[in-house]
Amino acid sequence: MTDDRTDFLKGTLDMLVLKVVALGPNHGYAIAQRLKQISKDFFQVHQGSLYPALHRLEDRGWLHAEWKESETGREAKFYSLTKKGREQLETEVRKWERLSDAVALILRAAESGAK
Amino acid sequence: MMWWLHRLVHKSRSENQLDKELQFHLERQVDDYVKTGLPTEEAWRRARLEFGGVDRVKEEVRDTRWETRFDNLWRDFRYAFRSLGRDRRFAVIAIFALALGIGASTVVFSLVYNVFFDALPYKDFNRSVVFAVHNLTDSSGSKDREFFSPAEVRAFREQNQVFEDIIGYALMRPTYDAGKSIRFFPFGAVVTSNTFNYLGIPPLMGRAISEGDVTADAPAVFVMNYRFWQREFDGDPGVLGKVFVLNGKPTTLIGIMPAQFNAFSANFWIPVPYDQATSGGYQLHLMGRLKPGVSVQAAGADLDSIAHRAHKIKPDEISPENKFAIVADTLLDSLIGNFKKALYALLVAVLLLLSIACSNVANLSLARASLREREIAMRVTLGATHGRLIRQLLVESFVLASVASGVGCVLAYFGLKVVAALIPAGTLPEETVIRMNAPVLLLALGITIVTAVLCGLAPALHAVRGDLQPRLTGSDKGVGQSFRHGNLRAGLVVSEIALSIVLLIGAGLLMRSFLVLTRVDLGFDPKNVLYFVLNLPPTYNTDLAGSLQRKNALTRQLLERMQALPGVTSVAEFADPPPLEYEVSDTIILGKPHADRRETQFEMCSEGYFQTLGLPLIRGRFFSEDDVSRARDVMVVNEAFSRQYFPNEDPLGHKVKLDIFDRPYFAAAAPHETYFEIIGIVHDYKTRSYNNPSWRSFPQAFVPYSVAGFNWRTFMARTSVNPSSLLRNMAQEVRDLDPGVQISTSGTLEASLQEFYRGPQFELVALASFAIIGLALVVIGVFSVMAYNVSLQTHEIGVRMALGAQQGSILKMVLARGMGLVAAGIVIGLFASYALTRYLASQVWGISTTDPWTFAAVIALIVFAGVAACLLPAWHAARVDPLVALRYE
Repeated sequence: MTDDRTDFLKGTLDMLVLKVVALGPNHGYAIAQRLKQISKDFFQVHQGSLYPALHRLEDRGWLHAEWKESETGREAKFYSLTKKGREQLETEVRKWERLSDAVALILRAAESGAK
Repeated sequence: MMWWLHRLVHKSRSENQLDKELQFHLERQVDDYVKTGLPTEEAWRRARLEFGGVDRVKEEVRDTRWETRFDNLWRDFRYAFRSLGRDRRFAVIAIFALALGIGASTVVFSLVYNVFFDALPYKDFNRSVVFAVHNLTDSSGSKDREFFSPAEVRAFREQNQVFEDIIGYALMRPTYDAGKSIRFFPFGAVVTSNTFNYLGIPPLMGRAISEGDVTADAPAVFVMNYRFWQREFDGDPGVLGKVFVLNGKPTTLIGIMPAQFNAFSANFWIPVPYDQATSGGYQLHLMGRLKPGVSVQAAGADLDSIAHRAHKIKPDEISPENKFAIVADTLLDSLIGNFKKALYALLVAVLLLLSIACSNVANLSLARASLREREIAMRVTLGATHGRLIRQLLVESFVLASVASGVGCVLAYFGLKVVAALIPAGTLPEETVIRMNAPVLLLALGITIVTAVLCGLAPALHAVRGDLQPRLTGSDKGVGQSFRHGNLRAGLVVSEIALSIVLLIGAGLLMRSFLVLTRVDLGFDPKNVLYFVLNLPPTYNTDLAGSLQRKNALTRQLLERMQALPGVTSVAEFADPPPLEYEVSDTIILGKPHADRRETQFEMCSEGYFQTLGLPLIRGRFFSEDDVSRARDVMVVNEAFSRQYFPNEDPLGHKVKLDIFDRPYFAAAAPHETYFEIIGIVHDYKTRSYNNPSWRSFPQAFVPYSVAGFNWRTFMARTSVNPSSLLRNMAQEVRDLDPGVQISTSGTLEASLQEFYRGPQFELVALASFAIIGLALVVIGVFSVMAYNVSLQTHEIGVRMALGAQQGSILKMVLARGMGLVAAGIVIGLFASYALTRYLASQVWGISTTDPWTFAAVIALIVFAGVAACLLPAWHAARVDPLVALRYE
């Protein structure tokens, strides 16, 4: 089942990245900062591991990338959400909600069963 | 491919961009840290630490592209192997079923490919056609001919619009003067000089025949086949260039052909110019290569119209038949004939078998998929997409199918050897080699992929469909729930049963037909009868009157010598060697004109013929020795003759003419305008005609052999000892009488009949093996479905038993459900068989293609197999412990 756990983590990171990019086109560094900020430092992963995810999402056609001038005047690679990416994000979110509902349900049922 | 190239070319560019992107990240991080007051060095250290190994990140980024495309697939394969390893019983059964299906179809496809597409080594052999002149006044085909007169050959060569090239050939058997003795060479052929160029195979040694070999002053040459060279000269290369005196003419051996070259089944080939080939008394056959795009029918029609035009100008030289049609046939069809139909039957049978194997594996996969529902639901919840799951299940089937096709190919390799050995000699041309080859293996690969999809798709789609929640929580198994996939699985089992019924009925019909064929009472006793055929040298055919006398004197003397041998009970001479295929003739009865065609099989024989075959006399008398030695115009007819032509009178004393004796091809040696007096009626015995392989009692007429001077001389002896042991003595007697005369073929009557059965036997064995494999797969299928159903019903059964149900009623319940499936399969299978077996009509003799006995036997067999397959699961069900079953939830 190791494969599934990797799938699971990757799937979650992908969803979060998509969500952040959905807020507006941004470069890798800004996305990393945003993730860290929003999750209150929960995702203490190496920031480098964001890049394989970005490239994977780009490769699947969920993100679109282009080189643009950044706020500091230097050229940076900006990622934006594609139409396909938006659909994917919605599916992922729905799936996530269903799972967390199910887990919550089971937890509550188990609690009441224990009483 | 393009994508790989693209990647390679643009690699450096994307690498640079990646560097730039990561660099930007680090520098921005450092900038931010510096702004918070960290020293630059410390800022870099922290940024790098937080980022992780840059090289590792780069590596991972590079991998993402590969990963999305290949890694998942690789993981699917690993997963498939692991999960199949966990479920070995399933894997073994599935691989076994598929391997049998794929193996059997590879064997049949190899046969089909070798026979239809690769049968002959000659250049463009599939555009080569041969011709026959069909005599429209005779439906039996016995007056057709495949050779042509000089004028006809000239007309075809000059006027045809359809051929690139035409060759001519005639079989011949020359004498060979070896200095000390003169003997016969085996059969060879004279050929037109373009023949070797036409066939397009280079010689093994020396050179082939070319145009220059038939010019007026060219020396006489010939080319030898490989087998003859090996057999007679031990493959000695020194024989090349040697001069042989053939038919008194010194002829130089200029070439040896390779082993696969066996044109016209000749042992050697002598070139002749066209005019000589046609005028030299040979029966010249023609073969032509169609221009591209011309059909066989069009070629026949072209020659037909040429012949009809020419016939009006020279009616005696061209098509003297008057009413005729020229028909063309491909060279291949003319060589393999009826075997083609047998192959089609096998092809259909093996496709049925493959379908059974596929349904069986799909069925097993479904059962497995149902048991894995919880696992699948879990994976979906954890983020696996439906596409991903379907692919995974497909990969699993693909792994199964690949292993199975590997095993299947090994099976096919050995199976093909068995099959090639089983094909009766003479069915296929000598040049045809039955073996595995690349196109067929590719096809097998194709089958594997299709099988994988067929077996895997249905279960995959089923497994990922529907609501996951109940499966995940497990509330799905139990009372009241209809069995998951139940209908689909039941449908698969029903169709398996139906398919196997079609197969079994096909095999059953062939078996019944074979029994009818071999058990038929022929009306004579074939045991302990020896026969041999004489080959007369040209000295017997010099002048008409003299040759008749010489041949008949030889026959008389030989019969006397044979009769004198110890162990011989009776002897006879006749014309047509066994197995009993006879010439037929129009029958004209003096004073009884008739409008209909009366075809009678006729035989010219000695007085001992009836005794030797053990045929009883009904009325009148058989030939006396006197009748035969004086060549009296007397005739014995059989009961069928009497029944058909003399329904209400006594045939004895009537006079009958055999019309064929007055025909051009017989005229030279036969009595003209001769009416034979019927002196006796003999009991019917069964024979075959040229176009109908079934045994029947035809009207037959016998006349003394001495009235005609034909070359066909077959001798027969009934013996009180093992007939084969006497052949040596017989051959010695022949040599003593005339050293120039040889025995060409010989054998026992019984063996010649058995040889005839080998064709149907081959088809029967092949089809029956397919049917048996199919039945075994069906038993597995029924068993697995029933066993699965019982495992799902454990709870229900427990409740029933707790409420007082007896073991017997549980047994009955399970059996009833299983037999319901079997019954549905039988109904569908019977309808399908009823519709399909008519295509077997050309392979089945003596019974109807809807033979009720066969149908009934197959139903009984399937019911029996079905009960057997249900019994074990039913027994398991009956032994369910209610306590355990109820706690099962």
